[in-house]
Amino acid sequence: MSDVTATPASAAAGSAASPNGEILRIEELVKHFPIRKGLLKRTVGQVHAVDGIDLEVRQGETLGLVGESGCGKSTLARTILKLIEPTSGKIVVNGNDITGLKRRQMREYRRQLQIVFQDPYASLNPRLTVRNIVAEPLKIHGIARGKQEQVRRVDELLQTVGLSPEHANRFPHEFSGGQRQRIGVARALALNPQLLILDEPVSALDVSIRAQVINLLESLQREFGLTYIFVAHDLSIVRHVSDRVAVMYLGKIVEIGTRDDVYQRSTHPYTQALLSAVPIESPYQRGKRKRIVLEGDVPNPANPPSGCRFRTRCWKAQQICAEVEPPLEDRGFGHRSACHFAEVLNPFELTEAAAAQVDVPTVDTDVVSG
Amino acid sequence: MPEPVLSIKDLTVEFQTEDGVVHAVEGLSYDLFPGETLGVVGESGSGKSVSMLSILGLIPQGRIVRGEASYKGKSLMKMKRSELRKLRGGELSMIFQDPMTSLNPVLTIGFQIDEALAAHNPGISNSESRTRGIGLLALVGVPNPDQRYDQYPHEFSGGMRQRAMIAMAMANNPTVLIADEPTTALDVTIQAQIIEVLKTAQRETHAATILITHDLGLVAELCDRVVVMYAGRAVETGDVHTIFESPRHPYTIGLMESLPVLTVAEDWLRPIPGQPPSLISPPPGCAFHPRCSLSNGRSLCRTSIPELQETGQPEHLSRCHYFQELEGYKSRLAAETAA
Repeated sequence: MSDVTATPASAAAGSAASPNGEILRIEELVKHFPIRKGLLKRTVGQVHAVDGIDLEVRQGETLGLVGESGCGKSTLARTILKLIEPTSGKIVVNGNDITGLKRRQMREYRRQLQIVFQDPYASLNPRLTVRNIVAEPLKIHGIARGKQEQVRRVDELLQTVGLSPEHANRFPHEFSGGQRQRIGVARALALNPQLLILDEPVSALDVSIRAQVINLLESLQREFGLTYIFVAHDLSIVRHVSDRVAVMYLGKIVEIGTRDDVYQRSTHPYTQALLSAVPIESPYQRGKRKRIVLEGDVPNPANPPSGCRFRTRCWKAQQICAEVEPPLEDRGFGHRSACHFAEVLNPFELTEAAAAQVDVPTVDTDVVSG
Repeated sequence: MPEPVLSIKDLTVEFQTEDGVVHAVEGLSYDLFPGETLGVVGESGSGKSVSMLSILGLIPQGRIVRGEASYKGKSLMKMKRSELRKLRGGELSMIFQDPMTSLNPVLTIGFQIDEALAAHNPGISNSESRTRGIGLLALVGVPNPDQRYDQYPHEFSGGMRQRAMIAMAMANNPTVLIADEPTTALDVTIQAQIIEVLKTAQRETHAATILITHDLGLVAELCDRVVVMYAGRAVETGDVHTIFESPRHPYTIGLMESLPVLTVAEDWLRPIPGQPPSLISPPPGCAFHPRCSLSNGRSLCRTSIPELQETGQPEHLSRCHYFQELEGYKSRLAAETAA
């Protein structure tokens, strides 16, 4: 991390970290996408992709962001980087409000916040060599001046992600999915960022390759003291990588806490249903636990339900859920969830007797007998 | 031993491409018995889907070089196209991964179910077909089936489309149901719903099922027996409990070791090193040897392709020269997840 010639602006931004190690805070963040119709493109509605999110991320941690497709997790990730302009709310990086900054002013912060995209086939320019792809951020930010310095830095970055400098002159199509994702990581690391947003970084990869990339990300985090926001729908991977986990549903955080809070002591029915839905890789688990099966689909984010957004699929829903939106309430030590009827339940220990007690709609995880 | 309903022997499939011949499936053999669920597991390019599609005559670009596939003792290879067409969607029925691309967007769901029914039940009346179609939709849990019957695929959500696909696959009381990654495109809470619908389909039709997937969780939950494929070959086959508890092939073991498990907080994952091989010029000898932790550079692995050998556990086969060295190995999935 020695060769970055810090400009005064970025030095100032870097030094302003909050005392509690918070490097990113977002307040009441909202992103609505207009729905336009007709010849005049009149706005006829809004998709509530991200709808009032508060979040803080601390130095060196991994925050997992989980939820199903359409819950707004990727929109949130991109809005934090201002790749998408927020509709309202506040984004604070190292104590500086970056919400209103223009493109040019954002550059200083882009150096600190980088992103690795999901699809390593679509996120690398097929007409650039790997060297040019990884060097691009260095050029844009005027770091690593001189051809020689640039070559050295790119070689170093490729080695950091487990590729060899000989790979630098090849094109993306010559690489496998796992190797391409390494190139994407090298590019994101080029500017020595503090915070990396990893948007489904392994979901496009084969099972046997995923563990390689996850281990790489974890060792890079230790080596460079990186902070991660890890966006994913795979709950096993999120458990493995995260220190804290936020669960999103229809544009809102419904539960947030430490990994163990969320995976072992979850209090929100949606978190519980989500965890219970994953098939576990052991035939010995068959029949030992019950599975919570939710009815129906995720509602349309252009027209979310009143009150609690999860109520249309929730087995606990009552009158109050339609009338009053439940706030994110503390259930102890920063473990928060938004439910009027929050109750601890470990879905992995949901035996028949336990399910009957809490009155959860379940099915067996048994096989059909021939 | 009952007679298998579907039997594949020494199936070998190739594709001619600009870069050379792709050896997609190499000498694959397995049997499917009545009423059972067989899991075919492998990563992309392992040949798990191609092997099924090829025996149903659904890969015009590919070439079956050798091998045999028979349904209830009758050769599928020697069958006339018209006979095969009668079986497909009738007694041999498929559920595909992506319901968005396998439904016709300009025809109503009802029309498409009716098509499946009419093709195999000549002379079925319109009203009878409609009644049965609506009944099928109800069976797979589509709400308001009599209205949904007249809607188009775009009016269905992903999960509902997959339900409709399963309804279609069930329409003609199949004896064999082939489900190719039936839940991969779906969200986890919807996947849980579809797993239930698949169980319903099995219960109602008593069909033997082949589940093609890369998801070991799905296999652990749904299957009786497992075939693990790597680079076009079956590398290990056996009973689901045996495979998950005492696997005897280094690839199967590698897959199980590399997985993060939902119920366990691991410190570190143990990946399989390297990349899946090229199917145009696969490594000599055992295709897995360059990534294998057991081979240790031994020359036999590089020079000779191992046969599927009996491991000593009932009905359990492993394609590894040195599987005996794995004697006593217990998978972490058997132990850790039980907690």
